[in-house]
Amino acid sequence: MTSIPKKHPPHTLSLTVNGETHSFILGKGPNEVSPSHTLAQTLREKLGLTGTKISCDRGACGSCTVLLNGKAVFSCMLLTVECEGKEITTIEGLSDPKTGNLDPLQQSFIDHTAFQCGFCTPGIIMSTKALLNTNPSPTVDEVKEALSGNFCRCISHYHVLDAVMDVVKKEGNQ
Amino acid sequence: MKSFVHFNTRSVDEAIHLLKKYEGKAKINAGGTDLLGVLKDRILPEYPEAIINIKTIPGLSMIEDGEEKILIGALTTLADIINSSLIEKTFPLLKEAALSVASPQIRNVATIGGNLCQDTRCWYYRYPDGIGGRINCFRKGGKTCPAVSGENQYHAVIGAKKCYAVCPSDLAVALTALGANLTIAGQKGVRTIPVEEFYHPLGNTLSPDEMITAIHIPKPFPVARQTFHKFTLRKPIDFAVVSVSSLIFLDQEICTSSRIVLGAVASAPFRAYKAEEFLKEKKLSAKTAEEAARLALDGSKPLAKNAYKVEIAKTLVKRAVQGTE
Ligand SMILES: Cc1cc2nc3c(=O)[nH]c(=O)nc-3n(C[C@H](O)[C@H](O)[C@H](O)COP(=O)(O)OP(=O)(O)OC[C@H]3O[C@@H](n4cnc5c(N)ncnc54)[C@H](O)[C@@H]3O)c2cc1C
Ligand code: FES
Ligand code: FES
Repeated sequence: MTSIPKKHPPHTLSLTVNGETHSFILGKGPNEVSPSHTLAQTLREKLGLTGTKISCDRGACGSCTVLLNGKAVFSCMLLTVECEGKEITTIEGLSDPKTGNLDPLQQSFIDHTAFQCGFCTPGIIMSTKALLNTNPSPTVDEVKEALSGNFCRCISHYHVLDAVMDVVKKEGNQ
Repeated sequence: MKSFVHFNTRSVDEAIHLLKKYEGKAKINAGGTDLLGVLKDRILPEYPEAIINIKTIPGLSMIEDGEEKILIGALTTLADIINSSLIEKTFPLLKEAALSVASPQIRNVATIGGNLCQDTRCWYYRYPDGIGGRINCFRKGGKTCPAVSGENQYHAVIGAKKCYAVCPSDLAVALTALGANLTIAGQKGVRTIPVEEFYHPLGNTLSPDEMITAIHIPKPFPVARQTFHKFTLRKPIDFAVVSVSSLIFLDQEICTSSRIVLGAVASAPFRAYKAEEFLKEKKLSAKTAEEAARLALDGSKPLAKNAYKVEIAKTLVKRAVQGTE
């Protein structure tokens, strides 16, 4: 039987978000990350990355979608302490860090006005990004499936499909 | 979320040691897609003091091919199950079941072990403490089940007594049809139990110091027809209103034996023994399917608002027997 460490490790936590590593002290203080914080909370409240939205906070709507090691996940259903050593990408990490140019996917959403209130948009873009990373030339049905966990109450879905398929046409092989 | 002590465990032994130490006041966290909701709404009788992350245990995320069975580690994600060509080839019904769960984001994180152990979704049980106070239903130690005289459209239609909540796990239904077994490790050692016997009316048979480490699924021999049908209102996100999973062994058109399992109709996956018995040595036709469906739901006692579930269940059984979509 393995012995249990006396203190509760780790006392510090390092998170890699959009290629940058941030260190936190674990605890309950104002500048600390509590073991019960969700990744969504930490991104928004500690790192100021408010592009990631929290809506249902129960894993049902998709507005908090980020990439964890390239895969789309709900940041509201992950504990920050369990994300150490993982690559996290948020909507803020898509534009070119040097030029500031938007990702072609973001530009396409603008060109197609693929949103109304925009609350669901970062999550939808992140889910799409995860799909295009593994499948650069998806069919419309594959896009619908990849976005089936992202809800939009303003009914922007049709424009979203246009925006995504336009990028696929330009960047993919279709 | 209210705070807790958090551990990243490195071995099954260490996890069990911690479970034992906290005497029921610790919870295992696998994918967290169920547990975090349960914690946020504070629905457990006692809020856990410690959360034990088991994702840091090496070796529990794998799919291993054997001669007579396939072994799936408890930490294997639903996405890994869906993407496995071995699973697709050997257990298409399991792939279908996993694919029917929630959304891509959940399936990337949710584990097979967590899916089997997830808490019920009964809306009285899950009612958040923070909004107007706790609903103390029978499952939470109260005296009655509010669903009996309340909103019961998604509740049990067969075999329920004190609590009418249904088992929400789609994989439990699929794995019961496949005759799978669970390996469970605990303070007293390792035990094996069929998925079919894992659930009891108020949850599962795990004791506070136990965890699932693996799922073993026998390869059906001879090859059998496999189906998983799930009725929902929307395709993504929704839990099953009713599901039916079946394994039917056929010799020409004659059924030699079968396993037919209904989901979301009872507190556990419900095995339709009477229908299975009836189908033995029968030629599968519209008529035998009709009778099998009737027998599968024989003895059902729907509540005021869920008799429709009985009809849906019958239709799904008929489709399973006839092999139609
Ligand atoms: C919006 C939404 C829709 C959903 N729709 C469906 C659906 O249609 N069908 C369906 O089947 N499910 C559905 N789910 C539930 C989802 O499948 C489960 O949340 C998920 O499978 C749980 O896996 P996890 O690894 O995240 O478990 P966790 O949340 O980590 O754990 C769940 C529970 O199991 C315990 N546990 C976890 N692993 C083990 C283990 N190895 N041994 C012992 N105990 C363990 C934990 O202590 C906890 O109590 C849905 C969930 C959401 C949020
Ligand atoms: S806020 Fe995370 S899924 Fe809705
Ligand atoms: S644009 Fe408003 S929710 Fe989608």
